[in-house]
Amino acid sequence: MLPSPSLIVQSLVDGVFLGFLFSLVALGLSLVFGVMGFINFAHGDFLMASAYLVWVLASSLRTEPLATAALTVPLFFVVGAAVYFLVARPLLGREPLMQIAVTVGVGYVLQNVALMSFRAEPRASLSYALNTYFGLGPVSVHAAKLVAALMSFAIVVGLDYLLKRTWFGLAVRATAYDRETAMLMGVDVNKVYVAVFGLGIALTALASSLWMTFGQVDPYLGASFGLVSWIVIALGGLGGVPGILASSLIIGVVQSLTTNIVSPSVKMAAASVVFLLVLWFRPRGLFGKV
Amino acid sequence: MGGPTLKASRFGWLAPPLALAALCGLVPHMVGFNQYYILVATRIAIVASVALSWNIIGGLAGQLDLASSAYLGLGGILAAELMIKYGVTPWIGMLAGAAASAGVAFLIGYPLFRFGIREVWYALSTVALVVVLHELAIVLMGPFDYYVPPVEGWYYLRFRTWENLYYVSLVLLAFVIVVNLWVSRSKLGYYLKAIREDETAAEALGVDVRKYKLLALLIYATLVGFAGYLYVVTQRTYSYKTFSAPFSIYIAVIGIVGGLGSVDGILLAAAMLGMAEEYLRATFGGTLPGLHLLVYGLLLVTVGVLRPEGLATVTRRLLRPVRTRFLGGESA
Amino acid sequence: MLGRGSKLAAVKISAIIVTAIVVVVAVAGVALYILTAPAPTPTPTPTRPKITEIRIGMIEPLTGKYAVFGKEAVDAARLIIEIINEELGGVKSLGGAKLVLVGVEDAGESPEVTAMAAERLIATHRPHIIVGAYISRLTAAAAEVTERERVIFAFDALVDWLTERGWRYVIRLAPKASAHGATAARFALSLAKERGVEAKKVVVLHEDSVFGTYVATGAIRELAANRIPYESVSYPYTIEDFGPIISRLREIKPDIIISVPYFHDGVLFAKAYRASGLKVKLIAGAGGCGYIDPGSIEAVGEAVEYFTNTLSYDPSRATEWNKKVVEKYVSRYGKPPSEAAGIIFYTLFFIYEGLEKASEMFPDDPLNPDNLMKVFMSLDLTDENSISAQLYPTGRIKLAPNGDNIYAGTAVLQVIGGKARVVWPKPEPGVVPVCPMP
Repeated sequence: MLPSPSLIVQSLVDGVFLGFLFSLVALGLSLVFGVMGFINFAHGDFLMASAYLVWVLASSLRTEPLATAALTVPLFFVVGAAVYFLVARPLLGREPLMQIAVTVGVGYVLQNVALMSFRAEPRASLSYALNTYFGLGPVSVHAAKLVAALMSFAIVVGLDYLLKRTWFGLAVRATAYDRETAMLMGVDVNKVYVAVFGLGIALTALASSLWMTFGQVDPYLGASFGLVSWIVIALGGLGGVPGILASSLIIGVVQSLTTNIVSPSVKMAAASVVFLLVLWFRPRGLFGKV
Repeated sequence: MGGPTLKASRFGWLAPPLALAALCGLVPHMVGFNQYYILVATRIAIVASVALSWNIIGGLAGQLDLASSAYLGLGGILAAELMIKYGVTPWIGMLAGAAASAGVAFLIGYPLFRFGIREVWYALSTVALVVVLHELAIVLMGPFDYYVPPVEGWYYLRFRTWENLYYVSLVLLAFVIVVNLWVSRSKLGYYLKAIREDETAAEALGVDVRKYKLLALLIYATLVGFAGYLYVVTQRTYSYKTFSAPFSIYIAVIGIVGGLGSVDGILLAAAMLGMAEEYLRATFGGTLPGLHLLVYGLLLVTVGVLRPEGLATVTRRLLRPVRTRFLGGESA
Repeated sequence: MLGRGSKLAAVKISAIIVTAIVVVVAVAGVALYILTAPAPTPTPTPTRPKITEIRIGMIEPLTGKYAVFGKEAVDAARLIIEIINEELGGVKSLGGAKLVLVGVEDAGESPEVTAMAAERLIATHRPHIIVGAYISRLTAAAAEVTERERVIFAFDALVDWLTERGWRYVIRLAPKASAHGATAARFALSLAKERGVEAKKVVVLHEDSVFGTYVATGAIRELAANRIPYESVSYPYTIEDFGPIISRLREIKPDIIISVPYFHDGVLFAKAYRASGLKVKLIAGAGGCGYIDPGSIEAVGEAVEYFTNTLSYDPSRATEWNKKVVEKYVSRYGKPPSEAAGIIFYTLFFIYEGLEKASEMFPDDPLNPDNLMKVFMSLDLTDENSISAQLYPTGRIKLAPNGDNIYAGTAVLQVIGGKARVVWPKPEPGVVPVCPMP
C-alpha cells in the first residue's frame, strides 16, 4: 500500500518540527565535544532529568510546562557546572573509553534515580493551552510542536550569533581551536569550560520544557535523545550551527517518515542506518569542514 | 634465568587455578542442588565468558564496544531457531551462531576500521548496531517472546535441572580464559596493547592497526556468538529484547570495573556484580527498582574517576601473599 | 625472570593444563552429581502426617510499568487469605489447615526475571499452589518452571494461548483475552442498536502485542459475525505520539472505536482524541487495561469521560459474598477493587473450595498436584453452592480440560462523572450507559 501524499506531507512537517528540537539538544552536546573534547554519553539523560523536573513543577504549580524553563534552565546551568567539576574535569584528556564509560555511569545513575522516584510509567504534563491541532491545507499542525520548533530555531540562531559576535564567543572558539594559544591570549580556559558545560546542560533543560508541552517523560527518554544528538554531530561534523541545523532536520524527517510510513518501532534504526552510512562514506560528516 | 624461582613455581602456580576450578566444580554440591542458586551460578559463568570475550576488543585493544548483546543475540537466536524449526542440534547451531556473529562483526568492523573510525564513533557505531538489530527484530519476529521448547537431553543442550548446563558453561568459561591468556601473551596481544596505548604511534611504528583491530573484533564476536545459545537457554526466552543496549553496557561495566585486560579482575567483577544484582533484585526489587543499575552507575563513575585499574588491583593485592608463597616472588 | 620464548611456551603449556583441569573437574563434578544427587523426587507423598498449612506463593509484577496491577493483586490476596483463615476457619476438611502466603516474588518486567523469581519461590518455599503473574508473557515464563516442578499455577493473566500450550498443572478462571474483545463488541453493538445509533463503520484500534492482538481478534470475530464493516488499526504499545493514528481515524471516520490499550497508551490516546476534536459515537475499550481504572482517570481527568472497558470482574454484582468482599476491600484499601483484585478474589476462593473437596476425593494424598488438578476439574460451581461463583461475573465456574473456565464472561464499565460504573451485563442501580458520547 502506497502512503497517501497527505501523509507524506504531514510526516515532513512533523519531522521538521522535531528536527528543530533535536538541533537545540545537539547544539549543547556539540559545544561540549567540540570545545572541550569531552565525550558525554549522559547528555540525553540530563534532558530526561530536567523533563521530570518540568513535570513536577508544572503539575504542582499548575503552570504551563514552558513557564518552568525560567527555573530549570538556570538550575541546570549550575548542575552542569557541578558535573563538570565532579566528573568531567578529572577525565579531560583521559582516554575516550573512560570518558564514555564514566558518562554512561552518570546516565545510569540519573535513569535509575528517576526510576526509583517516579516509577517507569510515562508522565505527561496536564497542560492544555498548546494542546490543539489546527488545519493548514492537508496537514494538521500541533500547536505545541510548532511553538517548540520556532523557539528552538530562534535560540539556536541566537546562540550562533553569540558565538560569532561576542567576546565570550571568541573565547570559546579560540579555546576550541587551540587551548594553549587561547590561554596565552589571556582566556581563562577553565572558566570557558565551566560555561560551555553549563550551557550544554542548560540547553537540555530548555529543550525538555519544550518537549513536555506535547511529549511525555519516562526514565529512558534520554537514551533516544542522546543517540540522536550524537548522530546529528556525526552528520553535521563540527562545522558549526548550520551543519547541526541541517543534520537535525534530516534526522527529524527520517524518523518522522519511518514512524508514519513503516512503523514507529523502527525510527531509531532508520536514524542509526543513516549514521552508519555517513560514517562509512563521509567520515567527516555531510557538512563538516575537511 | 629462573633458577630456584622457576623450580618453586613449576607446579606451585597450578594451585590457585586448581583450587578455583575445584571450587567452581563443586558449587552445585555446596548449594545442596538448589536449582535457583545453580541457575544464578550458571548465568554468572556465561556472563563472565561474555565479559572476558569483550576483554579482547575492549580491554586489550581499547575499543569501547557496546554491541555484545548484538552478537550474543544473533548467535543465540540463530541456534535456537535452527533447533526449533529444523531440529538441528545446538552443538551445530552454536557453531553456526558463532559464524553468523563473526560475519556481522566483519561486515560492520571492516568498513569502520578501514575508514579509521575509532573512539567515540566506534562506540556509537556499536550502539547503532544494537539499535538496528533490536528494531529489525521487532519487524521480523514481531513484539513476541519465543520460548525454547521443553525438550531435554544432551542433543538439545537443555535439561530439566540446571547442573549439566552449569558444567557446560564452566567449560566455556575455561576456554575463554585460555583464549584470553593466549591472545594477551601473543604477538597479537602486544600489538593490541600498543594500539590501546596510542593508535597513531602504533600505526607509525608499522603495526597494521586495521588488521589487528578487526582480528580482535572477530575473536570477540565469535566467542560471544558461540555463547549465545547457552544464554538464551538460561533466559528461557528470546525476543527482540535480547538485543539490549543495557546488557551490552553491563558487559562493558564488568570489563571496566574488573580492570581492562585483567582476567582475574573481570572474573571477580562478574561474580560480584552477578551475585549483587540477583541479591538486590530479590531483596529490594519490590521497593527500589533499578537499584542494581544505580550501583553499576556509581561503580563506573568511581572506578573511572578514582581508580582506573579496576578490581584487578584488589585481586592482585589479595593474591600477593598466595603468589609469594607458591611462586616465591613477584616475577610471574 | 623468564626469557620471552620460554615464557610464551610456559604460558601455552599452562593454558592447556588449566583447560584440562577445568574439564576434568567438570566431568568429575557431573559424575559426582550423578552419584550423589537425590533421585528426582517421585510424587511427593509425605502427606500422611497431619496437614497444618497450605502454602500459596505469588509472583506478581511489583516493579516497573505493571506494578500497579501486581500490588493490587497482592493486596487482594492478603485480604482473601485472611477471610478464609479467620472467618471460614481455614480448610475445614483438612482439619482447619490454614492458607499461608509463603512468598511474594517480583515478576519484574521481563520473562527472564519472572522465571528466576519462580525458581527462587519454588526452591525456597515449595508452595503447593502459585498464583500469578498478571502479564501474560511473564506468566508463560514462570509456567515453564512451575510445570517442571509440578506445582499448580493459577493464572491471573488473560492471553488465550496460555492454556493452549498443553501445560498440565495450570488453571485460569478469568475470561481470556479474546472473550474480552468479543464482549466489548457485543456490548457496543447492542447498546448502539438500543439507542438507535448507526454503527456503519467500526475501527478496532489495538496495541500490537500478543495480548492486544488476541483481544482485537475476539472483537473482530464478533463484528464479522454480525456483518459490521470494520477496519483494524494497530500500533506498538510503546507509542509516543498518536498524531498519525488520529490522522488515520480522520480518514476512516468510524462511528464506533473498539480500543484495546495496554495501559499508558490509553492515557495518551484519550488525550490525543480530545485534542483532535474527532467525534465518534462510542469508544469501547476491551481487555481490562486502562480508561476505567482510577490511575487513568486521575492521569487524564475528563479526557476519558464516557469511555468504557471490559473487566474480568463485576464489582457491583449483587450477591451476598460479592458485596461482603467488596465492602471489606474498600474499607481496608480505600478504593474499589478493579481487574487485578477481582481475579484474585474468585481464584483464591476457587482454590479454597477445591481444597475443601480434596480430602474427600483423595483422603490419602489431597495435596498431590495430580490429585488436586482432578479435584479442580471436578468442581461445578454456581451462585447457590459456591463463594467463588458469587464473585464471578457470570456466576458459574466449571473448568475445561485445558484449565479455562467454560462459563467465562466479563463485565463492562463506563466512566460517568469521573467514576467507573458497571453498565453491562446489568447496569448498577441508578446508572444508565451513555451513548452516543456527547
